[in-house]
Amino acid sequence: MQNNLQDIEKQALEKISTADSKDALESISVQFLGRKGVLTAFLRNIPSLPVDERPAAGKNGNLLKLKLEEAVRQARSELEAGAAGGAEGIDITLPGRMVKKGALHPITQVMDEISGIFLRLGFDIAEGPEVETDYYNFEALNIPKYHPARDMQDTFYVSENIVLRTHTSGSQPRVMEKNEPPVRIISPGKVFRCDSDLTHTPMFHQVEGLMVDRNISFGDLKGVLTTFVQQFFDKDTLLRFRPSFFPFTEPSAEVDIRCAMCKGKGCRVCSNTGWIEILGSGMVHPAVFENVGYDTQKYTGFAFGMGMERVAMLKYGIDDIRKYFENDVRFLGQF
Amino acid sequence: MKVSLSWLREYIPVDLDPKDLSDRLTMAGLEVDGVESLYDYLDNVVVAQVVQARQHPNADKLTCCTVDIGKGELFPIVCGAPNVREGMYVACALPGAVLPGDFKIKKSKLRGEPSHGMLCSAAELMLAHDASGIMDLDGEFVTGTPLESALKLTDAVLEIDLTPNRPDCLSLIGVAREIGALTEPRNKVTLPDVTFPEAKMDSRDIHDFVSVRIEDPQLCPRYTAGMLFDVKVGPSPVWLKQRLEAVGLSCVNNVVDITNFVMMETGQPLHAFDYDNIAKSKIIVRTAGKPGDAPLEFTTLDSKVHKLDPEMLMICDGEKPVGIAGVMGGENSEITDATTRVLVESAYFNPVSIRRTAKRTGIASDASHRFERGVDPEGTLFALNRAVSLMAQFCSATIARGIIDENPVKTPPVTIDLSPKALNVRLGTSFSADEIAQILGSVEFGIDKKAAQKDDGLLQVHVPSFRVDVARPEDLSEEVARLWGYNKIETSYPLITAKGRTLASRPVLRGKIRQAMTGFGFCEAINYNFIRKDACARMAIEDPDKRTRMVEILNPISDQMAVLRTSIVPGLLEAMARNTAKQVDTLQLFEIGKVFFDTAPGKQPEEVEVVGGLITGYRWDQTWYSKKEAVDFFDLKGVVQGLLSYFQISGVLYERTETGTCPYFEPGYGARIVKDGLVLGTLGKIASGVGAAFGLKQDAYLFDLDMDSLEKALPQAIQAVGLPKFPSISRDMTFIVPKRVEVGVMIDTISAFAQKQGLIEDYFLFDVFEGSNIGEDKKSLSFRVVYRSASKTLTENNIKKIHEQLSQKIINDFQADLPG
Repeated sequence: MQNNLQDIEKQALEKISTADSKDALESISVQFLGRKGVLTAFLRNIPSLPVDERPAAGKNGNLLKLKLEEAVRQARSELEAGAAGGAEGIDITLPGRMVKKGALHPITQVMDEISGIFLRLGFDIAEGPEVETDYYNFEALNIPKYHPARDMQDTFYVSENIVLRTHTSGSQPRVMEKNEPPVRIISPGKVFRCDSDLTHTPMFHQVEGLMVDRNISFGDLKGVLTTFVQQFFDKDTLLRFRPSFFPFTEPSAEVDIRCAMCKGKGCRVCSNTGWIEILGSGMVHPAVFENVGYDTQKYTGFAFGMGMERVAMLKYGIDDIRKYFENDVRFLGQF
Repeated sequence: MKVSLSWLREYIPVDLDPKDLSDRLTMAGLEVDGVESLYDYLDNVVVAQVVQARQHPNADKLTCCTVDIGKGELFPIVCGAPNVREGMYVACALPGAVLPGDFKIKKSKLRGEPSHGMLCSAAELMLAHDASGIMDLDGEFVTGTPLESALKLTDAVLEIDLTPNRPDCLSLIGVAREIGALTEPRNKVTLPDVTFPEAKMDSRDIHDFVSVRIEDPQLCPRYTAGMLFDVKVGPSPVWLKQRLEAVGLSCVNNVVDITNFVMMETGQPLHAFDYDNIAKSKIIVRTAGKPGDAPLEFTTLDSKVHKLDPEMLMICDGEKPVGIAGVMGGENSEITDATTRVLVESAYFNPVSIRRTAKRTGIASDASHRFERGVDPEGTLFALNRAVSLMAQFCSATIARGIIDENPVKTPPVTIDLSPKALNVRLGTSFSADEIAQILGSVEFGIDKKAAQKDDGLLQVHVPSFRVDVARPEDLSEEVARLWGYNKIETSYPLITAKGRTLASRPVLRGKIRQAMTGFGFCEAINYNFIRKDACARMAIEDPDKRTRMVEILNPISDQMAVLRTSIVPGLLEAMARNTAKQVDTLQLFEIGKVFFDTAPGKQPEEVEVVGGLITGYRWDQTWYSKKEAVDFFDLKGVVQGLLSYFQISGVLYERTETGTCPYFEPGYGARIVKDGLVLGTLGKIASGVGAAFGLKQDAYLFDLDMDSLEKALPQAIQAVGLPKFPSISRDMTFIVPKRVEVGVMIDTISAFAQKQGLIEDYFLFDVFEGSNIGEDKKSLSFRVVYRSASKTLTENNIKKIHEQLSQKIINDFQADLPG
C-alpha cells in the first residue's frame, strides 16, 4: 500500500516537473487529482483497507494530495511567469502616467548654490534696484564722471543720471549708509551692459559680496574666496590671485582657477593659459568708505563679484551664452 | 599696448624668455594677452652661398646661380639682381617660404631655366628699404642657418592688456621700469640721452619765432614747445620704421614718426606743426568758444570734419584753431613733404577735459588715450627734448635755441605718510619698514624714514611723478602686494560675530514659488528686461493703462530691446513662439522678474516684481491610457489655485476682468485674482489677435501675480486644527439653471449658508452637463455637500432638513429647477 503511494508521488512529481505547458499540467493534475484521478481513487479506496491501515493511509494520502496540489500551483505560476516575462496580471513595463517634470533655470541654480555657500559663511542677501542712479552705480564706488574706468563697463542710460545697473555693487553703499560694520552681504541679481556678441549678452547675472569689519585683511579675502571656490567647484581646485584694477578696491585682484578641462596644460577653454578668470575682488577703497561715512582708520573690508553665466558655463559645459535667454525648453529641461 | 623685447632692451636688460617674462608681468598686474614672434615670416629663409653664377641663356638681366643651401645641397636659382656674384652669402627663400605680401615661394622655371627658390633683397624681407639688390650678408656663415638666427633677428612682441590706472605703462620706458623690478638682479632703466649736439644748434632763438599763451591754465597746466629749421621731410630710417611697425603703428614720415616713437617711448604724446602754417607766430591754448556759442567746424588731419562744442580745448594760432588739444591735430597745420620748419608741442592737459572731448567727438587717438588716463606732468620737457634731438639727427634739421615752457599751474609732488602697521593689517602680512622701503624703491618710489626708531614709525614715501595712480597709503599697499606677489601672501580666515540675523523675506518667497512651480512641471524662463517699443500695441494695451508708461533706453542695443518691460506677458509669449517654431508644442513656463514703470523725468522708475506663468499645448499627449487633450483655461486656473494653496492663501475670488483692463485676454476669458479686495494678479486666455501679433499658432493661457501683493496675502502664522472624531455624510444635489448663472455665485451662496449653518464641512461642484434634453439655454449642475458634526455621528434625520433648506434656497435664488 505504502509502495503504491510512493509510486504515485514519484510518478506525479516527475510528470509535473516536466510539463511544458499549462494544458499539459492541467491534464497531469486531472490524471492524479481529478475526480477519476489516481490519488483520488486511492483515497476513495481507503474504506476498503484493513482498519489498522486506514489512519496511516488517510494521513499519507491527504499529505500527498496537498503536496501535489502545491507542486501543480508552483509549476503553473512558473509556466505563467515564463510566458508573460515575469508579469503577474499586469505588464509592468507599460509606461507610467508620468507627472510632468519642471526645471529651474541654470542661472537660478548656480545663483542659489553660490548664495547658499555665502549664507553658510554668515553673509546676508541685500538686493537693490535694477535701474540705479549714477551716484550709487558709479560715484559712490569711486568712479567719477569722465573717469576712464567707466570704459570698463559699457552703460545703458535711461537719463543723464539714471542707468541700468552695470553691476550689483550699488547695493553696497546703500547697505553701508544704513548700517555700521560689521557688514557681510552678497547681492545677487541682473546687471546690464551695452554689449552683445558671442560671449556677451546685454543682460546677465552677478553675485557680488562685501565684508567690512575691524582688521579684515587681504589674507582674509583670499581665505573666504578660496573657501568659496573650493566649495563650488571642487575641493582641490587650484586658484591664483592676480593684480588688477577696479576703482572701488585697492589692492584689486582677479581670481583665476586652474582650468579643469586641461588641468593647466592649456586648451581652448582657457585660451592656452591654463587658468580661467572667474572673480574680481579687492580690499574696499577708502574713498568708498568715506562716501558712506565709515572710519577708514577703524575698518577695512573686501569686496568681490562674479558673473553667473560664466560660472554656469564652466559648471555645465554650456557653450553659447545666448542660450540662457532663448528659453528653449529643450535647453532648460536639462538642468 | 604692444612692446617689443628688442626695443625694451634699449632701456633695461631682458634675459628672460618671453613666456617667463609674460608670466611675471601678468602676476604683477600687467596682464600679457599674447606673445607674438616678429620674424615668424622668415621660416624657410636661410643663409646660402652662391657657388656659381652664369648668364641666363635667354635673358640679359637674369643670372643662373648654383646655390649652396646647406648640408651640401645645391639648388639652381635664377636671380635678377645686379649685385649677385660667386662666393656671396645671401638670404635664400626656399620653396615653402611665404614672404610678406603673401608671396609664396615654389619650385619653378624662369625662361626655361629651373629655379628652386629666391635670393632676397632686404626690402623683400622687410628688414630694410634697400630694394636695389639682394642682401649681401657680411661675415662668415654656415649655409643652411635660418636667417632669423644668423642675423639674430629674434624679437618677441608682448600684447599687454593694461588697466586704466596704469598710464605710466603706456610707454616702453614704463614697462621697462616694471621689468627692472621683476627680474633679478633688480635693474633701473637707462634713459636715452637728450642733450642737443652743439653741431646741430641753429643760431636763431625760438622766442623770435613763436609765442605761446595759455588762456585756460586749468585745462592746460603746461605747454612746452621746441622748433627745428631746415627740416627734410621724408621716409623714416628703417630702424625707426621697424620699431613702430613692431608695436602696431603705421609710418607716415620722419617727423610724424619721431613724435609717435617718442610717445611710445615715454608715454608723452607730442604734436608737430608745420610752422609756416601757424598764423601770426602765435600759439594760443583756449577753449573753442564761449559757453553758448554755436559748435565750431574743424577738420582734423585724418580729413574728417568735427563739430566742436565751445568748451572743448583747442590749440589755436593767431587766427584760427590748428588742433584739438590732446586729441588730434588739424589738417590745416599738418606736416607735409614741403614742410621745412617744424614746431613740436609737448604739453600736459587736464585728463577730464580731454576725455570729455574725445567722447564727444568720438575720436579715440593714441594721444587722447594717454592724456585722459594721465601722463607724467613732469615728463613734458624730456619728451620734447628727445623728439627735437631725434629730428635734428634724422630729419637733417637744426635746432632753434631755447625752448618754450609755459607752466602756469604746477602739479605738486605727492608724498604719502605710510604706516607699515596699517599696511600689514590691510594685507595680512608682517613686512618690516625696510622691506616695504625696498619693494617700493624698486619702482622708483623715494623713501624717507620719518620715525625709524619706533615700531610703527611712518615712512614718508615720495611718489614718482609718472605714477599718477598713487595718492594714498592704500595705493602703496597694492604696490607692495603686487610686487611681493599676491600668491605669497598667507591665506587667513576672518573672525565673525555669531549674532542672529534675519533672512531677507523676498528671496525666501521667490525660492518657494520656484519650488512649487517646478513641482507643478513648469520650466523657469529668464527673459530680457528690454522689449520692443511697440510691445504695448502688440498687446492691444492703450493709454492711460499704466503699462504704457515705459522707460526708454537712450542707447539701446537694438529696436528689439529699446524699452524696459512693463509686463511679463510679451517675454513669455516670445519665448513660446520660439519654442513652438522648433516644434515643441506643449509648454509650461514661468518667470520671476521685475517690470518697470516710468515715474518722472530723471527719476528712477517704479520696479515691481511679478511672477508669470504660461501654458499651451496639451494636458497630456496621446498615450496608451488617454487621448491627446488640449489645455484650457481651467488647467491654468488650477495652477494658480495650486500655487496659492501651496502658500495657504485661502478665500481667493476670481472675478471677470473688466473691459479694457487686460485687453490681451480673449473677451470673456480673463479673470482677476482677488483676496480681501487686494488684486493679486490676473489670468486668462491670450486673445487670438494678440497671439497672431506674437506669431503664435496655438492658444496660450497666462497668469501673472504681483509679488508684493502675494507677500501681503501670506498667512501670518499657521495654526493646526484638530482632526474630526466623527464620520461625515455626503448628500448630492442637482439643479438645472440658466446657462448665464455663474457657478462661483452659487458657491458663494452655499458658502454663506454653510457659515451660518455650521454642520456643512465641505461642498463642491462635481458635474456640469449641457444638452438639448434639458433645454438649449440651460445647464445642469451637481454639487456634493459634506456634513459633519464635531460632537456626534450624524444621521439622516440630523441633516435632512438642512439639505432641503439649502436646496430650496438655491432654487429660489437662481430660478433653478430640479431634474426630471
